[in-house]
Amino acid sequence: MTADEIRAYLEPRRHEFADPRSLVMPALKYAQTTRGHLSREDLDAVAEATGFTPSFVESVASFYDRLYTQPVGNRVVSVCITLSCMLRGSDEVWDHLCEKEGIDHHHGGTSADGRITIQEAQCLGYCDKAPCIQVDADETLGPFTPDSAAALVDELRAAPDPEEYWR
Amino acid sequence: MADYAPVDLTAENLVSFELNGEKVQAPAGTMLVDACHALGVEVPIFCYEPRIGPPVGACRMCLVEVEGMRGLQTACSTPVQPDMVVRTTSELATQGQESVLELLLANHPLDCPVCDKGGECPLQDRTFRFGPGKSRFHESKRHFLKPVELSSRIALDRERCISCFRCVRFSQEVAQDGQLTMQERGGRSEIATFSGDAYEARFTGNIIDVCPVGALTSIPYRFVARPWDVTNTPSVCGLCPVGCNTELTLREGVVRRVSGRDEPNYAVEEGWLCDVGRWAYDSADHTGRLHRAVVRDANGARETNMADALSAATLVLQRADGPVGILLGPAATVEEAAIALDLAGGALRGAVVARLGIPAGPLAPLRATRRAEMGDIDDAQTVIVVGGDPSLQQPVVELRLRKAALRRGARIVTVGSRRTGLADVAEHVDAAPGALHAAISDIAARIAASAEPVVLWDEAELAAEPAAADALATAIAANGAARQIELGQDPNGAGLRALGIPATGLRDALAAGRLGALITVHADPRSAPGRDAWDAALGDVPVVSVATHVDATTDRATVVLPSLTLWEQEGTLVSMTGRAQRVRRGADGPDGAAPGWEILIALGHYLGAPPAYRTPGAAFAAAAKAHPGLGGLTYDDMGTLGAPLPPPAADHLAGDAGESVAAGSAGLALVAVRDVHAGRAAQGSEALLAFHAPAAARVSAATAERARLTDGATARISSPHGEATLPVRVAPGLPDDAVFVALGTPGAAPESLLGPDRGPVRVELRP
Ligand code: SF4
Ligand code: FES
Ligand code: FES
Repeated sequence: MTADEIRAYLEPRRHEFADPRSLVMPALKYAQTTRGHLSREDLDAVAEATGFTPSFVESVASFYDRLYTQPVGNRVVSVCITLSCMLRGSDEVWDHLCEKEGIDHHHGGTSADGRITIQEAQCLGYCDKAPCIQVDADETLGPFTPDSAAALVDELRAAPDPEEYWR
Repeated sequence: MADYAPVDLTAENLVSFELNGEKVQAPAGTMLVDACHALGVEVPIFCYEPRIGPPVGACRMCLVEVEGMRGLQTACSTPVQPDMVVRTTSELATQGQESVLELLLANHPLDCPVCDKGGECPLQDRTFRFGPGKSRFHESKRHFLKPVELSSRIALDRERCISCFRCVRFSQEVAQDGQLTMQERGGRSEIATFSGDAYEARFTGNIIDVCPVGALTSIPYRFVARPWDVTNTPSVCGLCPVGCNTELTLREGVVRRVSGRDEPNYAVEEGWLCDVGRWAYDSADHTGRLHRAVVRDANGARETNMADALSAATLVLQRADGPVGILLGPAATVEEAAIALDLAGGALRGAVVARLGIPAGPLAPLRATRRAEMGDIDDAQTVIVVGGDPSLQQPVVELRLRKAALRRGARIVTVGSRRTGLADVAEHVDAAPGALHAAISDIAARIAASAEPVVLWDEAELAAEPAAADALATAIAANGAARQIELGQDPNGAGLRALGIPATGLRDALAAGRLGALITVHADPRSAPGRDAWDAALGDVPVVSVATHVDATTDRATVVLPSLTLWEQEGTLVSMTGRAQRVRRGADGPDGAAPGWEILIALGHYLGAPPAYRTPGAAFAAAAKAHPGLGGLTYDDMGTLGAPLPPPAADHLAGDAGESVAAGSAGLALVAVRDVHAGRAAQGSEALLAFHAPAAARVSAATAERARLTDGATARISSPHGEATLPVRVAPGLPDDAVFVALGTPGAAPESLLGPDRGPVRVELRP
């Protein structure tokens, strides 16, 4: 993404942020929508558009779990592992998905075909639907059993990719 | 590392409080850690670094108990208040300190036996003094690849980092290069640059000094020595006239490390060094070092020992057909110069003594105005930089100016022909190269309108415009509170001038055939500005050269007497602000070489009229008696931090004026910059490989196009003084119709284009 595209996106939103540093977050999220992660060029473009140094922009990006400085799958599946979901069996959901996609149980990761990334999430505010799963940044769904979660992943793999990657 | 800020316990605004049961006093507003330190009570710290900026409270190491305040307080960010009751060693405070250390060590690898910092590590020392004996953390620690190269000079071991943020804050707030940040978060936090790029900037090495653990280490020093097999000697950097106070680490007679001092000189460098001053020490041994004396005759050159060479030199000087000339180089010490003057009054009566540098006459009135020291920049509201580019020529000045701008909100104004290294913090007033005079009324108005301005002025540019120099002097004098700092060219220019040594006279005497021989002392006129004129003047006059490295002058000298460098010999240098500071002997140097002062004393002996002293200290004492410019100073007065010399009178060396050659208006203006990064020490240092670059003529795109040259093409440049061939570099931020060259780069000779007495020059640029 280019600095000009990011500027155009930020312009109408600028007034919402009193501190110019706050613009870095929306800029990063938007810059991520073309590739699904932030390349060096994307980070440079955000730096140029916001007036901060590339290393500062990268330090912000590296702080947040939903900003990716390395490539991830076409769809990102976040499994909530906080208390309510844990009590209601998120462990089994997590293990089953990792097993199914051939992903490291400790850290999560991306499937070999590059389609699906499984990662942990902290409480998503859907404790009433525990155990729950969020897909990219849009839907949070639940409750899941290991099998229904696997079915969701199959569905995502078959579905066409979103036009923009909002994560 | 200056862990605590200096505190003046004799100040007027003292407040009383209780510290560990005793009634004590400290100035109001002092941070508790600093007050405690001044009062002899140690409160452990890690993130606090008063030179970097206000406290951030990142590490929590400095916990103390303050009666009436809930919980424990961080002493680094709690100011002293009247009647407060502070306990630093109570059970509660001790528990707090132990717990913090236990936490800091939870992820620390405890690999002290293989860590370079071991033995001089604040984390290690404070763990012994303030830490718990045992850790309750049995889980596995985090692991990183160790170490990674942050740059070619700095290794980063992320496992050892305690996330104190000192290095990041240095990069962001002191050097303001914006390159270092903390990435990731929590236990995964790590120091990083953008996408893992190398951390390349002008002052990067300071992060090694401020790191309180072994996370950041110097690659050239890694695994070279342990703190118990080295000695540390306070000295002074001899690479530029700022005169930064350094500490030399010696092992087995070799300098292995140069660092900022633990007790910095706040009047000068404040403990910060530029990367050239920190790492160029290995250049002392690079190719071209003179290990043995050389005597040249009809049969060619032969190496010999010092005694033999001194006899040969004596013969040369005794048989000289006319008086002798003695030429002192820009970094010759006060002692060497004083002995040279004594030789001229004794064994070599009638000798003509001069220094290789810019004539002092045109700058005499300006130098006589009120002087400031570097430390005074801190309090200035307005700083005006007239000409030059301190970032390249007197690097550490940049950090002071950045501090004034960022921390005190001072207004920085640069006046000159190009974007300087300060462009991001300074307001810029444009003046064409060689046309500072056109901006002088603007500058004068700014000086008049400011309360206590500090004016920094470039020696070379103002010497080339005497009228502008006079006008600047008048403007500074007119504002009773204004002060000035000279951005000088020569590491000891001020010292040589204090002895009354002119830059002019010698070459004319040589050219007129009045001199029978020439002694050069750390001077290479055949590579200096105006080298063609020097060559012509030299003709076939025999030369005795006291030098550290092979150069164009030693190549033709009849006798070469190998000298020790400023990392290896004693002496005194006077900084551009007039502060006399002692250089101490660090390394032993080559067996066949001797200190310059000793060689000159020996020459006196061989010539049958020895001076009355045998040591540099005695030579300095004799000089201080004979030369009022030295203000009667002694080595004791100078101590480890140096002492200021009396300011020069308005007519001091007024007659030291070169020929004034009008530059005319045809051709392009030539701007010659004494860039320390391009000089011999930096270019000859293996550690500073990242700075190695071939010499070039830098021009704007339009100027290159007009001369039908492209980036990288070879240009022939000619001036009334001579010719040079250099590759062209098209660079942004340069004015049109000007050519920028760096002086002192080995193997290049833009010096041919200049006149020996400097002054304005215009050149032709052709493919
Ligand atoms: S590398 Fe050193 S200076 Fe930097 S944060 Fe870690 S411990 Fe502090
Ligand atoms: S714990 Fe999973 S949504 Fe709250
Ligand atoms: S030294 Fe006080 S919090 Fe770090």
